Parts: sequence; structure tokens; C-alpha cells
Amino acid sequence: MITRRALLALLGSAAIPAALRANSDTALDSAFLRERVDSGELPELAKRLPQNPRVINLQSMGRTLGHHGGDLTILIGRAKDIRYIPINSYSRLIGYNEQLEMVPDILESYTVEEGRIFTFHLRPGHRWSDGSAFTSSDFQYFWDEVALNREIARGGPPVSLLVNGEVAKFEALDEVTVRYSWTQPNPVFLSKLAAPIPLTLMLPAAYMRQFHANHQSSDTLATYIEHYRVDDWVGLHRKLSRQNRPENPDLPTLEAWRPTTAPPAEQFVFERNPYFHRVDENGKQLPYIDKVVMNVSSSEIIAAKTATGDSDLQGVGLALPDYTLIKEAENRFPIKVSLWRRTQGSSVALFPNLNCRDDVWRSLFQDVRVRRALSLAINREEINQVLYYGLANESADTVLPESPLYKAEYAAAWSSYDRDQANDLLDQAGLSQRNSSKIRLLPDGRPANITIESAGDSTLETDVLELITDYFRDVGIALFIRSSQRDIFRSRILGGSVQMSVFRGLDNGLPSADMPPTQMAPSSSDQLQWPLWGLHYMSGKKQGKASDMPHVQELSRLLDQWMMSTHTEQRADIWARMLTIYSDQVFSIGTVNGGLQPLARSARLNNIPDTGLYGFAPTSYLGVYLPDTFWFDKEG
Amino acid sequence: MKSPLPKPGEALEHYVSDAPYDPNSIENNQSDEGPLAQASQLKLMWWYFRQHRLALASAIFLVLVYLSILFSEFLAPYNLHTRNTEFIYAPPASVHIFRDGSLVRPYTYGQTMTLDMTTLRRNYTDNVNDIQPLRFFCRGDTYQFWSLFESDMHLVCPAEGGQLFLLGTDRLGRDVLSRTIYGARISLTIGILGVLLSFVLGVVIGGIAGYRGGIFDMVVQRMTEVLQSIPSIPLWMALATIIPLTWSPLLVYVGITVILSLLDWTGLARAVRSKLLSLREEDYVVAAQLLGANSTRVIKRHLIPGFMSHLIASATLTVPGMILGETALSFLGIGLRPPITSWGILLTEARSINIIALYPWLLFPVIPVILVILAFNFLGDGLRDAADPYK
Repeated sequence: MITRRALLALLGSAAIPAALRANSDTALDSAFLRERVDSGELPELAKRLPQNPRVINLQSMGRTLGHHGGDLTILIGRAKDIRYIPINSYSRLIGYNEQLEMVPDILESYTVEEGRIFTFHLRPGHRWSDGSAFTSSDFQYFWDEVALNREIARGGPPVSLLVNGEVAKFEALDEVTVRYSWTQPNPVFLSKLAAPIPLTLMLPAAYMRQFHANHQSSDTLATYIEHYRVDDWVGLHRKLSRQNRPENPDLPTLEAWRPTTAPPAEQFVFERNPYFHRVDENGKQLPYIDKVVMNVSSSEIIAAKTATGDSDLQGVGLALPDYTLIKEAENRFPIKVSLWRRTQGSSVALFPNLNCRDDVWRSLFQDVRVRRALSLAINREEINQVLYYGLANESADTVLPESPLYKAEYAAAWSSYDRDQANDLLDQAGLSQRNSSKIRLLPDGRPANITIESAGDSTLETDVLELITDYFRDVGIALFIRSSQRDIFRSRILGGSVQMSVFRGLDNGLPSADMPPTQMAPSSSDQLQWPLWGLHYMSGKKQGKASDMPHVQELSRLLDQWMMSTHTEQRADIWARMLTIYSDQVFSIGTVNGGLQPLARSARLNNIPDTGLYGFAPTSYLGVYLPDTFWFDKEG
Repeated sequence: MKSPLPKPGEALEHYVSDAPYDPNSIENNQSDEGPLAQASQLKLMWWYFRQHRLALASAIFLVLVYLSILFSEFLAPYNLHTRNTEFIYAPPASVHIFRDGSLVRPYTYGQTMTLDMTTLRRNYTDNVNDIQPLRFFCRGDTYQFWSLFESDMHLVCPAEGGQLFLLGTDRLGRDVLSRTIYGARISLTIGILGVLLSFVLGVVIGGIAGYRGGIFDMVVQRMTEVLQSIPSIPLWMALATIIPLTWSPLLVYVGITVILSLLDWTGLARAVRSKLLSLREEDYVVAAQLLGANSTRVIKRHLIPGFMSHLIASATLTVPGMILGETALSFLGIGLRPPITSWGILLTEARSINIIALYPWLLFPVIPVILVILAFNFLGDGLRDAADPYK
């Protein structure tokens, strides 16, 4: 709560020139921390901020200046979803702004020379959330004691720090300057730092040293190992240093809110980071909101609870069918709901597993005629009208029209509804025989039954599948839906026991030429259409298998070329070629994209845009819209 | 002193009376005491049963419902999978029979859909100028009747080019009434088939246990105890997940029936066993055994008729359990799978908060479930009361 006196001081502060304002810390600091400052536990605001904090100019962004206070309640479906905090808080060395341009955030500035020498300048006086100094020694610690430590990084430094097998050269030039350099260009480096789950370059050394074998006696480590129930000190170090999963409340952070609850719990409370490095143009420290409270509830009732005003900010767990319910609840509860656009390449996409263990299906799916036929068999217009109110784009799984790389031909490739052509293609692919129930027969005599694996957390997905089941039956393919849990889902696909899976399409539907085209070629074992080939790339050719399809090899070659590129035109050209191949070869079967995502918020919450792009990449969900600038109207 | 018994090993003294004996003498003597004394057991049961009005009404209701599943295709205005994508989430249409103050052929109004762009809700308004009289015994969607011949005859259809959604439509624009009528076919037969199966299992296993006794009885008793002590839903779930995904829906249907009955025979087996245990000590059974009847004859001729009526009554009472079991399994998404449609499947589709708040007519299949379950319970009640007319 803000007292009357604080409010007066706050009103006054707007009138005081900036130079004088530094003295009136009480107005610029949150009342939430007052007690701890008064008792001497925390230093004054001026001593907590970096010398040169990042000033967010709200008025130039068309937003309003807010005031401190309030608890933001968010519902999550499972305890693991506290991962959304570091994604949404989006404190990165370098991050995207609302226009998806790269700007330094934690860094004061950075320079790139020849696309291969990256020099980062930290903010002097920047501190971790526990008050310890954030300096180049934290980068040094990560580099020497983690990345190059043969016990922690058994396979050598993380692949993302390699360029063609070459390890980066790291230098700590002085206390606030670090440099990473390679002999060849590394165009992905910066975008990896700006990712929703960023590349780790630094760890809070002061805290982490006590769990490192080089800095701690083995006796003390043994007691820690027992206390945290891990196998060895490597496990201990890994468990306690996870920045993407804020499960360790003691781990200092640079995010806007720091965790205070260790799992297991039903409610997770995040408190404002007293040392956060962003301020508004008046010098008021961000975030405005003091506490984020995440309540774990069943994902099935998130929509219902949101509609009764139990959440202050909810996108996760809501889908388009829930919009009507929440919109009508606006009359009864102090909530507002707006529609954002999803950034995925396709709201629901089918992924034929080109690495599935079933020999017959594998060779069929590797046959482009089958993939094209399945894509042509889908009536996208009906899906759009029935399930998306006709508001989505009927499209193959490719980039959105909002992307600078978009061309209409990508979206139109094999995405019209043409049952005759689909039947012809399937006949040509050797599936011309049919059984009594008009299902095609595979070359080995089995009926063409496809079991499609679903991670099963969206009713919209189930509905789309129900329609697709009918479309596929019309061309003689029987589709069976099997839902499994997310973790099992991925491992079953990697294991090859899944013929086809259904998930969201391309993660980043809004790429620019400077964003790496990793999603267009095998690059990760999470890719549902070629998990083994992706694993091969990800593990540095140690695990998985190399692809044996010419078009996929071509995509991999293009990805490699992009990784070596130095300027934007070249990258745009590579993107265009990859998009052409990808959509022409139908490596994933899209339905509609640009689908709408309801975003519900408390009516008292300000500074949230009415429309925006909602998705994991590149916007980090709400990350680029700076949730630390959201603020609550005072109650009553 | 002369012992009344012969010496050990000698034949028992006996004689056969020459006096005329009529085994039916008692019944014949009562012939003029009115119909009650003359009536057969079945007839007595019927009289008793008739007095139980609720049971009688339930029986008639159930017979009608079960007859309806033979003609689902004819009774439903639409086919099971017919989609009307212009009429998604249409509310139930009202049927009017008066126009301008006079009685006319039942009709509905045509509906126009407008999409409310602020709430993204489809609003349907009656178009009073567009009068769509219902047609009866009319041509509509074509179907294979009993896999014998193709037909397109329906009991009731919308006007040509019109719509008739008496209970509204679901998210894909499918008629809820038609789907409920088709769903009855699966939900009701699964109950009866399941009970038949568990009836056979129960009578055979319980019969042997009760009549033979000994080790077998003990094993069966412990087995039923174990089976009854396991919570049924998790056990169903475990068994239901074994059913391979690629089985045809019909096989899945049989599989679910078998699973339900495999777990349901225990109650019946117990009833049979305890009945048998008491009946086999009765004098008339001993008499039959002494007269040299073998086990099969004793069981079939003397024991089963003695408790059959009880069994039928208790079997009737387990049908609702089966139907609810199927509904529960399908609701949890592990029972039947689309495209097979049962009431449980229909309810699964209606479980989200959106449906309850905005499209409540999708919950309609709850009503037939409740009615059928109640009817079976009343019927079972009536049967049980009537089962022993001599008491």
C-alpha cells in the first residue's frame, strides 16, 4: 500500500528536475522495500541501481507512468510453469524491443566487429538480486568453471558457443567489459542471447562458488549433496544454477522478480528484485508491481477461474473458445480481455515423423507425394470458419504475413483443398489398393491407419483433429488420436514409435532475415518431423543420424551457409530458399495461422497493449511488451 | 430288545403302499378355491409386479427405449456425423403449432446467424417470415439400414432447405438430438450385453462354488473379495488402456463390454453361491439326490428355478452400473472413442466450462442417462418384490 505521504511525494517528484530527484529516494523506491531500507537491511535506491540504469521511456512508447504496488496473480497449470516468469520478465543481455529490433538491456552497450568479435559493456554498479556485484568475473566464472570444466560440460563447451567446432575466445577486458570472439562470423550469437530461453553466459559467481568442487571442500560439498538429494557435485551445481527454471530461491537473479518459493508448492511467490536495472523516465525503479503470485490449479479450470476474476494476467491456459466466456464475464468481474495474434507458423500442424521406426510408414512419409496429398486433403477453409470464426489465415506451416520474409506462395503451397489431386498422389505413391471399408492398403497389406500422437492439452487441437480425421477418411487414410503427456510425447517421438504428431507449427512465425533459420532445418531433437536428424545436429554429429533425403540435406547446407553469413541480404536470400523448399516439400502440414489468443487481465492493470503478438519466439510471450512496466490502479 | 434298525449291511425294511395316490390331489382339491391358488409362479409374479405401478411404467419406458435403438436411423432427423457448419452452437429450436390463432402443421422458424465480433459469439435469431413446416415420414440423409438396404426415410425432417435442431447443435454443427438417439444404441446395448456376460460368469462360477463347496469355493470367495476390494475406476482404466488404439471402434466396443463384465460378475456369483448353499440343504433337494438325480439335473431342475427370479432382479439392478461404467470410462476419455458415439462420449464433449456457461443444451444427454438408470432401478425393485410370490 502506498501511504498518503508517499503519494504526495510521488506527485511532487514529477515536478522536480531530474538532478534533484535522486535525493527523493522514498518516492522513486517502492514502499514494499521501505521497511527493509529503514532497518538498514537494504541500501538506499541510489546505491542499488547501476550508475547508468536502463531508462524505459514510457511516454514515447505511448504508455502511462505508473506507481508501485500490487500483487499480480497468475494461474498456472502445473508447478513447472513458473518457467514463464524468466520468459515474461525478459531481462536479457540483449533483447528485442516491441519492434523486434535488438537493444542492449542488461548490457549498457555492445559492439560487433566483422560479425565475429562481440564486446559487451556492463553497467557499472549493477548488482544481482542478493546485492553482490555483477561484473565480468561472473562471465569469467561461467567460462572457466562451467563451460570449460570437463566434469560439468562432459562433451566440451555447449554447442552454441562453437562455430564449426571452434570454441569462442573469451576475454574479460576489465571489470565491466567482456569479449567473445571467433575467427569466423557467428550470426546466431546475439539472437541466442535475446531468445526466450537465452544462452547462458554468466552465473552469480559469489553464490555458485560454494557449490563448485574447485572452490569448496569435499566435506562441505558432501553435506550439500545430501541436503539437495543429488548424485554428485556436478548435479548439485547444475540443480542450483538453473536460471530458466526459478526453482532455487537462493540463486541471485537479474530478472525483475526473484523467486521466494521452492517447489513443491501450490503457490509460488515472486518478489520485486530490489536491484533491478530498469527505471522509468522519472527515475522510478521498475518493476511497478511488487509481487507476482502464481497459483497452481488444474489447467482445465484456468478459463473458468479467469472468468471469475481469479487471475490478473492470463494468456497461458486460455484458447480462442474461452474468449466468449471471459468477454461476457467482463460485465460481472473487473476483468478485461483482448485478442492477440499468435506467432506460430500454424496454430495446429501435423508432423509426419520422417524418422519413425515403422519401415513402411517411414518410406511413405519420406515420399513427398504422400506429404503433399495429406496436406491437400485438408479443408482449411472449413477449419477456419468452424473453429476460428474465419479470423485466421488458411496457410501452410510457414511464416506469417507480418514477417518481412513472407511471400504468398509459401502460404499457398499445397494448402488448397483438392481431394482429387490428393487421391491421385496417394495412388501414385503405391497406395492404390483399398479394403472393404475404403481404407487404403499399405504395400505390405496392412490398412493405412495412422496413429497421431497429441500432447493433449488443447481442446482446439482435438477439434481440428476431429475434422482432419474426416478429411483423411475421405482420401482413404484412417487417423487415430492418442494423447500422452508432454514429456512422454517428446521421448516417444524421438524413439520413433510415433508415426505422426500434432503440435503447434513453426515456433517463430515472424522471423526477420537476421534471426537464425534453425526451425527450417534439422537442428534440435525437439523437432517433431525429424527428431533424429535434429539430434544429430544438436549433439555435434555424436548422436542421432544424418539425414538421407536430398531436400533435407539441402536445408541443412543452407542453414550452415546462414551460419557463415555476414550480411543481411545474403541471409534474406538463404531464408527465401529455405522457405521455398520447406513449403514445397511440406515437411510439416499446417492448417491455419495467425490464430487469435485471448489475453485476460485485471481491469485495474495498465500499460498492456490491446493487441500484440503472442508466442514463445520471438516475443517471449509478453517479454517484449515489458511486464515490469505494467501497473495497478489503486484499489477503491 | 429288538432294534428298529436292521443289522449293519442289511437292506432297510420298506414297503410300497398299494393305496391309490394322486400326486396332484392337493392342487385338485383347491381347484374351486379361486384363481390365486391355481396360478402358476410366473402368473403370480406378474400380478405382484403389476401392482408396482412405477416398476410397470419403467418397464414400458425401457421397452420403448430399447425398441428405439433398432430404428435409430429412422428416428433421428440427421445422421450421426452430419455437420452443418453454418449452424454451429445453434440453440434448441422451438416448434410452434399455432399460427395466427389457428392450429397448423408444426413448424419452426428459419434462423439467421450473426457473429458478434466483440464477444465472438454466434447469435441466432428467429426469422419470423421464414416458416419451415416440419415434414413427417420424409426423405433426408441417406443411411444403410441394418446393413441391408439403403434408405433415406426419417420420422421427422426439416422443411426442404431448412433446419431442425430440436436440441441445438454442437461445436461442429451436429444435431444433438440425433447424436443422443444414436448414442442410446451404444450405451444401452453395452449395459445389456455386459450384464448378460457377467450373468453367465456369475451363475457358472457362483453355481459351482456353491454346489461343490470345498477348495474351489474358497478360491472363488477369496478371488471375489480381492476383485471387489480394488477400486473399480482405476482398474477399468488400467484394463481400458490395454485396448490397442488401432482396433476398429466395434472391437473397442466389445472390449469395453468385456472389461465391464469381467469386473462385475462377483456380486452375482456371491448371490448365486449363497442361494445355492441354503437351497441345497432343502429337503426336496435331498429327496432328489436320494432318488438318484445327478448334479446337473439337481442344479438345472431343482435349484436354478428356485433362485432364477432373484437373479433376474439383481441382474436388472446391475445394468445401471454398467451404463454408468461405460459413461464414466468414455467421459474420462479411455472408454469408447469417436467415431463411435455413446452418451458418455457426448458428455465428454460437454464438460468444459464454456459449454456449461454458454451452450448448456449440450448437456442434454444427461437426461436420458438419468431416466434410464432410474427406470432400471425401479424395474429391478419391482422384480425383486415380485420374485418370490409365495412368501
